[in-house]
Amino acid sequence: MNSDPSLSRRRFLQSLAAVGVVVACGPTAAPTPSASTSGSPAAAKPVSIEWWRRNYTPGSQTAETLTSDGAVKGWKARTPNVTISIQGGPFGPETDQKFDIAILQQKAGPDVFHTTGGDVLKYAAAGQLSEPPLTDAERRDFNPSALQATTYKGKVVAYPLWIVPWFEYINLDLFKEAGVTPPKDGNWTYDEFLAAAKKLTFKRANGKQVYGFAHANDEFAFMLIDGGRLYDKDVKTWTFNSADAVSGLEKWVALAQAKVMPPDFLTLNPNDSQARFLSGDIAILQRPSAMINVLNADKNWEFGKNWDIANFPKGRGDQTAWGGVGFIAVREQQDVDKKAAAHQFAKYLTGPDIGPDLKSQTPPVEYWLAPAGRTSAAGIYGDYHPAKAKVAKMGAFTYVLPNVSTWSEIDQKYMRPARDAALEGKKTPKQALDEVTPAAQRLLDEANK
Amino acid sequence: MTAALRRHGWSYLFVLPTFSLFVVFTLLPVAQGLILSLQDARVTGGSFIGLANFVTLAEDPVVRQAVGNTVLYATAVVAAQVTLALVVASLIQPLGTKSRVFYRALFYLPLVNSAILVAMVWRWIFNPNPFGLANAALGTIGLGPFLWIGSSDQALLAVILSAVLTIPGGGVVLYSAAMGSLPRELYEAADLEGASPFAKWRHITVPLLRPTTLYLVVVYTILAFQVFERVYIMTNGGGPNNATITIVQLIYSTAFQFGRYGLASAMAVVLFMMAMVVAVVQFRSLRSDVEY
Repeated sequence: MNSDPSLSRRRFLQSLAAVGVVVACGPTAAPTPSASTSGSPAAAKPVSIEWWRRNYTPGSQTAETLTSDGAVKGWKARTPNVTISIQGGPFGPETDQKFDIAILQQKAGPDVFHTTGGDVLKYAAAGQLSEPPLTDAERRDFNPSALQATTYKGKVVAYPLWIVPWFEYINLDLFKEAGVTPPKDGNWTYDEFLAAAKKLTFKRANGKQVYGFAHANDEFAFMLIDGGRLYDKDVKTWTFNSADAVSGLEKWVALAQAKVMPPDFLTLNPNDSQARFLSGDIAILQRPSAMINVLNADKNWEFGKNWDIANFPKGRGDQTAWGGVGFIAVREQQDVDKKAAAHQFAKYLTGPDIGPDLKSQTPPVEYWLAPAGRTSAAGIYGDYHPAKAKVAKMGAFTYVLPNVSTWSEIDQKYMRPARDAALEGKKTPKQALDEVTPAAQRLLDEANK
Repeated sequence: MTAALRRHGWSYLFVLPTFSLFVVFTLLPVAQGLILSLQDARVTGGSFIGLANFVTLAEDPVVRQAVGNTVLYATAVVAAQVTLALVVASLIQPLGTKSRVFYRALFYLPLVNSAILVAMVWRWIFNPNPFGLANAALGTIGLGPFLWIGSSDQALLAVILSAVLTIPGGGVVLYSAAMGSLPRELYEAADLEGASPFAKWRHITVPLLRPTTLYLVVVYTILAFQVFERVYIMTNGGGPNNATITIVQLIYSTAFQFGRYGLASAMAVVLFMMAMVVAVVQFRSLRSDVEY
């Protein structure tokens, strides 16, 4: 028998009301006019700011918690007059909604916060983000595509924190077993990649099936490798049914037709895909940089001996990886002391000083979970591991998705089903991408209003 | 009226706490949902747009697919679950009291499991790889492997099967209790007439259980219309090519992932109307004045 689903119409409304009550009663920082006109936190006047950080759980050993605590400690040493309290919350809709209600409805909440993707635009459109006071030198220091992704109506509205590239993890043991030479310096063409994936798809004498390649179900990077891009440069026109995009999808479909991916590749979630790679079922896995730490934590996986990383295969277009960007944003408010302190802290979180500060703490804390969004902070990420040193160089050719507030709807409602239909052979790549275009353009227009 | 109020008025005090909670946590949210469905509501607020949300829903092929999937799921699952509950209850009814209680508990106990956990198990059972439990089992008789949740052709079938193959413990208990209260003289009369066990079941038990059947059909239909966690967990919330997307799944993503609360509320209103219409039809077609 079906049990009551976790979200009926009634529950949806109840939870909406409940979240509203919780947030209304929560310890939010309402903007309070300040008599001070000082814009500098360097003044000895005590200032308290609130930092909202997803995946932060006080006392836990998660990377986000350790790095956040380390960051607060590091900043406290530099600016003793500023006190920072962290509020956590899991990744997911409930935390997103908490942010939305606090920032958009109550015009309160965090002084500084982590955010991603379309949320930056949403908060900027509502006039709730304070523009970062960046110097020209600082602007040049940031990765241009990351800076573009955080630009709203010509203004940078948040600080790019890091770029998270997707690339290929390769199982060197399986390469050796199948007699496949790993790509030299991590570079390979699509044809070389396909040939390797085919050879790496085999069944052992004991019946164990090994697959050449896998990715999680949140992917579409192959559509980029022949130069296809989602939008024109002004992000006004949907262009993901161009000949280059179609050609990219055809390359992806060729992988499905060659059966080099496991049969559940359309529903393989990220955690399962990692588990399958770790269990030796998959020779090449496409995942972002966070998996490096997962492999490092496993004594059975020695870098250079059992695993390595390689670039995304190169098609007709320029070398491409695809990735996301994380941001640190400062909320607009009337309290100039808080706002200034929040900006200084945001600069610290995204700048070159925090990495060495945390590395010098006891025990040392590895701050950069992904390559930094700015050049001056990029080096230290690579210091921690040779794989990370390789990844740090990928920022230069990572295609960062331009920020479009309706992107999740375009992606989940239209792009993924179209992609699936092509990969299953139910539609041609061109037909699938053409069918998406009207709905995608409509949602893009809506985002640009 | 005044006398009645004077006589019974104080009893409303006892109802007040529960009624207040009902108003605050059920009635008002439902009313607010109706209002939201007529607005272009987002988290920042919204303006009145009349029936525009409903027009948008009518024109959206994904919504049509979600409605179709939900109706198909509900039809198959309700028919199978009610039938299965009736058959299982009938099979345990002739047993002794202790055995009957044991089996009722046995079939009801799995209901205390987390629905999420159950869905995760089913995801593993219908894993498209040869090591998926269903494929491994069918492989022993030379069938498969099937793609199950990995294919847009089979994903909804796998989700339906996961519901159908779960014995509906609540239905078994209700039917079993109802069977216990059926008048024995009807069966004795049938015995005298030489009726077979199947004939007695077909012509006495099943008709007399009609009120219970009506209740189960209505309740199971409403629950089936609300299917969410099974789809969300088994097929990552919609499956390949939206093959398993359902109305509640779409409400969830529309509200909490796309931020369109007005549109999501309109979908909730549509779901409410669907459930109400189906319930009325079921009441009209299955109601009976059974007396015994």
